[in-house]
Amino acid sequence: MSVPAAFDYHPATSVDEAIALLQQYGDDAKLLAGGHSLLPTMKLRLAQPAHLIDLGKISGLSYIRDDGDAVAVGAMTRYVDIERSDLIKQYFALLPEGVDLIGDQQVRNMGTIGGSIAHSDPAADTPGMVLALKADIVAKGPGGVRTIKADDFFMDLMQTALKPDEIITEIRFPKPPAHTGSAYTKLANRASHYAVVGCAAVLTFDGGECKAASVVITGASVKPTRASAVEAGLVGKTGQGGSEGGIGGVLHRIEGAFAGENKLDDDAIADAASHAADGMELVSDIHGSKEYRGQMAAVMARRAITSAIERTS
Amino acid sequence: MADYKSLRAEQAQKRAEGKLMGIGLSSYIEACGIGPKGSFPVGLYESARVRVETAGHVMVYTGSSPHGQGEETTFSQLVADEFGIPMENIMIMHGDTDSTPEGRGTYGSRTTAVGGTALYTAVQRLKEKMKQIAAHLLEANVSDITLEDGKFSVAGAPQKSITFGEVAMAANFSNTLHPSIEPGLETTAFWEPEANTFPFGTHVCALEIDKDTGAAEITRYVAVDDCGRQLNPMLVEGQVHGGLAQGIGQALIEGVVYGEDGQLLTATLTDYAMPIASELPSFETASTVTLTPVNPLGVKGVGEAGTIGSTPAVANAVCDALGVAHVDMPYTPEKLWKVIHQK
Repeated sequence: MSVPAAFDYHPATSVDEAIALLQQYGDDAKLLAGGHSLLPTMKLRLAQPAHLIDLGKISGLSYIRDDGDAVAVGAMTRYVDIERSDLIKQYFALLPEGVDLIGDQQVRNMGTIGGSIAHSDPAADTPGMVLALKADIVAKGPGGVRTIKADDFFMDLMQTALKPDEIITEIRFPKPPAHTGSAYTKLANRASHYAVVGCAAVLTFDGGECKAASVVITGASVKPTRASAVEAGLVGKTGQGGSEGGIGGVLHRIEGAFAGENKLDDDAIADAASHAADGMELVSDIHGSKEYRGQMAAVMARRAITSAIERTS
Repeated sequence: MADYKSLRAEQAQKRAEGKLMGIGLSSYIEACGIGPKGSFPVGLYESARVRVETAGHVMVYTGSSPHGQGEETTFSQLVADEFGIPMENIMIMHGDTDSTPEGRGTYGSRTTAVGGTALYTAVQRLKEKMKQIAAHLLEANVSDITLEDGKFSVAGAPQKSITFGEVAMAANFSNTLHPSIEPGLETTAFWEPEANTFPFGTHVCALEIDKDTGAAEITRYVAVDDCGRQLNPMLVEGQVHGGLAQGIGQALIEGVVYGEDGQLLTATLTDYAMPIASELPSFETASTVTLTPVNPLGVKGVGEAGTIGSTPAVANAVCDALGVAHVDMPYTPEKLWKVIHQK
């Protein structure tokens, strides 16, 4: 079956109108953003909404703005615009890197950041990156506007903290402190290019010591999952031979700080990364067994962390 | 062309670095140009009806059924070369069983070898008839008539000539044709080969397997194939490219998977992986030319060559990289990872 069930189409002209339509039609309605996750499920009749509310005609929902201590991205911003944004590249290297790995160019021309995180496909890339960057998600409903922290947003398999009549309007990415590097890498499903396992890593260094680490695994579980055990294994670790003590250690660290190198040694990274799947409910399908995904989580984490550290400066 | 020695040296170097590089070769020979008289329960001939129209345009109705192999171009070239007329004046019709003669279809690397020969046969018949008409009009002996650059002339007296178009007009319109000549210029030819043709080739595949993930990536692919006479080298290369993509896809990523309950799990292209251009290496292709004596064109067929050579070349490269004798296809990352980590 490659034809959706019949539906009524409503092009909303404002967010308030879209919210009103959501309230009116309730469970019979779905929001349409980029459509490249929704329409295929409708063609397979896995979803059969009687009413489609198109957000694409609403002006003012697609933007990338420097907003002081954060970069604000409108929910309807297409992946291709994120790929091309110098502002985003300046602060969040992992976003254009990860977005470039999504689907194919046709998908990236239409797909939106808001649509992706609202849909929260477990194998998608954007939810993981948004979580790793600890973004704030701004949503509007009949009761007004509220902000949901990324760590509170992704609840379960394709379930988010959004209420049925709420619409994401903006995603705010707090600007990172100096000496922060980020990276996204994934092992892709060769058919769909969805993540079999992906890892988004954001690390901050100061004087050779890892001050903060945000590491998220995508594709391996029912939702993007923070790898807290990995983070704990990185924070407080020092580069340049790690915990070498005495005058030698001090000299090395000073040397390293002047040289601008924040490199943790490979063993330290591998050690931390080995905990990538700790406590995670791993999924299994024809593209990867539980065992494989668990092992790949560690591999992807190691690679993303290494890459992120190289980008701290 | 592959510089095999350098590849082995590179492999030694990579192995010293702990990397998994493999080199695979395959040499093949295939029985094509399906099929020889008596080799099958049905006759595997091909057919062509050719009509030269009043203004000198040519309609070809072929029993072959190309679906991307490019015979619209190759057959036009053949007719254009034989008659000495522009390709624009030729129309190739296929696939409409209401208008085309009975044929056996396009597969088995047979369309140009067998269908092309049926076309060639029909064209020669019409050429002969046109020579007879020209001889009559030029008051010469038919054995003295030559056809060159779209003109029929008398050997030794080139000023005595008449164009292809004028002969076509005469054949279709004239009321003073020689009584032995039936009006019109239309014939249908059926041609059945006496034997198969035997294209052959050798392929070399170099690839690297990511030790941590099991993902295989082809770094070089070299293919040298011999399909006999190449009527259109660009189409030949295109066929090879397509065959390589198909064979590599089969080896590395394609697979139909059923669940234990019989449910088809790879039911859409989100789960069934197909090879795409951006995920394949730049192919290095070359050819040798060994004509077949089986048909007057010397053509052996090339539709399958790329596929035949590539799947085993990739398989051999994977086994070489992993130091094992056999791995079941497709060589998915998890499968290779298991081989690497469970040895």
